[in-house]
Amino acid sequence: MASRGSQYQWSARGFIAPGVILVAVLLYLPLLWTTFLSFTEYNGLGDPDWIGLGNFAEMFEDPGFIGSLLNTLLWVVGTLLIPVGIGLALALLTWNLPGGVWLRVPFLIPYALSGIGVGLIWSFILSSNGALDQALGAFGITETPRWLVDAPLNTVVMIIAAAWQGVGVNALLFTIGLNSIPKEPLEAARVDGATGGRLFTSILWPMLRPLTAVVVGLSIVASLKTFDIVLSMTKGGPGRVSETLALTMYKETFVNSDYGLGSAIAVFLTIVTMIAAILYLREQLSKKHEI
Amino acid sequence: MNSRRTKFGAGAAALAASAMLLAACSGGGAADSGETTGTLDFYTNKAAWEPDFDELNGASEASVDISLNTTGYSDADQYDAFIKQSFRTSKSPGLFTWQTGSSLTELVDEGLIAETTDIWSNAVDEGWVTEDLRETYTVDGKQYCVPMNIAYWVMYYNTKIFEEQGIEVPTTWEELDAVAEKLTSAGVTPYYQTSTLFTFQWFQQMVAGTDPELYEGLSTGEVKYTDPEIVDIMNLWLEQQEAGWFSDAGSTVDPAVGLKQGDYAMINFGSFFNGSLDGAGMVSGEDYDMFVIPKTNADLERTPVAVESGPLCVAENSSQKALGLAYSEWWMSDEAQTAWSEARGDVAFNPKATVADPMLAELGSTVASDDYLVYDRYFEATPTPILTVALEQFGAFIANPGDPMPFLETIQAEADKYWADQE
Repeated sequence: MASRGSQYQWSARGFIAPGVILVAVLLYLPLLWTTFLSFTEYNGLGDPDWIGLGNFAEMFEDPGFIGSLLNTLLWVVGTLLIPVGIGLALALLTWNLPGGVWLRVPFLIPYALSGIGVGLIWSFILSSNGALDQALGAFGITETPRWLVDAPLNTVVMIIAAAWQGVGVNALLFTIGLNSIPKEPLEAARVDGATGGRLFTSILWPMLRPLTAVVVGLSIVASLKTFDIVLSMTKGGPGRVSETLALTMYKETFVNSDYGLGSAIAVFLTIVTMIAAILYLREQLSKKHEI
Repeated sequence: MNSRRTKFGAGAAALAASAMLLAACSGGGAADSGETTGTLDFYTNKAAWEPDFDELNGASEASVDISLNTTGYSDADQYDAFIKQSFRTSKSPGLFTWQTGSSLTELVDEGLIAETTDIWSNAVDEGWVTEDLRETYTVDGKQYCVPMNIAYWVMYYNTKIFEEQGIEVPTTWEELDAVAEKLTSAGVTPYYQTSTLFTFQWFQQMVAGTDPELYEGLSTGEVKYTDPEIVDIMNLWLEQQEAGWFSDAGSTVDPAVGLKQGDYAMINFGSFFNGSLDGAGMVSGEDYDMFVIPKTNADLERTPVAVESGPLCVAENSSQKALGLAYSEWWMSDEAQTAWSEARGDVAFNPKATVADPMLAELGSTVASDDYLVYDRYFEATPTPILTVALEQFGAFIANPGDPMPFLETIQAEADKYWADQE
């Protein structure tokens, strides 16, 4: 006969089981299944055929994939420079300003839109003879670039469209960070004569570091999985010139029904995202940066 | 002690509940109920057509006592993934729309589609369908699915522009070229084009119009995209691009609206485009009309016309298999197709059906004559992996017209890979 202790343990396990099973079924199982599929050839019907590293070899031999990888890197760099950079600038310029909140609020409104919605709006603006071309035409500028047709211009303008949406939330996060900085060191620095750039580089920036780490970390992860805005603005084209890794993964899986290759790209993207996030956060949150 | 027992019991119940949840998630095939009347679950990627299918329920209930419970998807890729997944569950559909060509063969090869050979034999005997169309639905000598719709790829034109420029409908390729030149010199862009999705039609038109066997060879792998005949056709397309015959590929103006406002004079599209033009406020026969595009090679005996046909299929392991097949049989009849043509406003595949729109009725009877050769549209005739690359490459060529070889080589590289896998 089981002891009271073991009965208690068993009942505890019973209570934990639903949660554990749900996590296993909804999170671990798909991850393992996708990893398994990445080593197979599978069209979504019948049974997957094991082909070892074939999909990974095919992936790196495909110039379209390399282009997609480079576009994704452009997204990572562009997202750090524009939405994060402008977000920080906006937070700094409006912080401690009377009525500053009203200057930040308009930037937050686009955040309420979905990526597809942002893509549609900007498609109207940037398509040939769209709103931007017509506006430039009114000033006599008729020779305009083909915003969404020529690479890498199309990726750059899409990053700007994404920035239009992302600046507000980054500014909000940086403002929270600025507000959480203790008053004493700030006042001490001011007494010592620090203002403007000196105050920013010596006090604000170091003290914002934990929050900057989170904002930049989130931006890196978000830009690595850029999908919806590209799908709605260029569908990765013309040809494949504006594809990102997430879009390549989607196309291979659901358009070409090559679930194996799509899964291989998913595995690659997961590994890259994890490595980027771990390396970055480990570096940023390490003790050496403590003030 | 009691409280511990209760906790133990509750824990066991929670575990049992999770086990039941898992069991519910797992699938498995369902036996055919054998019923041939009732409500049939129907899935389609043509969400916009849902009201038309609903409208047809009156006729099908009166005739065979079956009504459709339609679920429409508006995203084709999401829809394909859903259908493929459904074959693994007990919910595989009693009736669903699909594509002909390699997509259909793929499902048939896995034994997932119910055979419809008897339905086709009966329909051919009744004179409801042509033998040509039967070929499109044949895999290894047996028929699968029935045609949901049929569309011929023709040239739509803005009648007002043609009248203003004093242009007659061209009957030869030379006349068509002359029309394009005349329009260009009058400052009107002759043809519509886009760099996404529908990037194939002009290539399809010129290859099949030059030599139908050459076109057929591309779909079987016997002809290479880099063969001189194909390169010549691409160079001809390049000359036309450089002559300014095509519209701005980056425009996102709706094609029907573009034709209405005169952004271009002509647009090469499937005969389902009448619906879009009507929706844009144009009147069939007054504001717009259509003509069958003349053959590029005047020596051809018959004028090739691209046809697209989307199937209605029944899943082999569906619990509604008998019901789906009963509906499919009724669907082929002239009674059903007359009602469908009225609801949808489309060309009918059944020559005995009455087509509501006179323009489409005339097109149907014209193409059925011996002067025309019907061939499968590029979208269905080309295996999916090659198609995906080809659509992208034609899109890239349209966006930046130049030496066609790099584009053709990219398509051929995918074709080589595909055909090597098939051996």
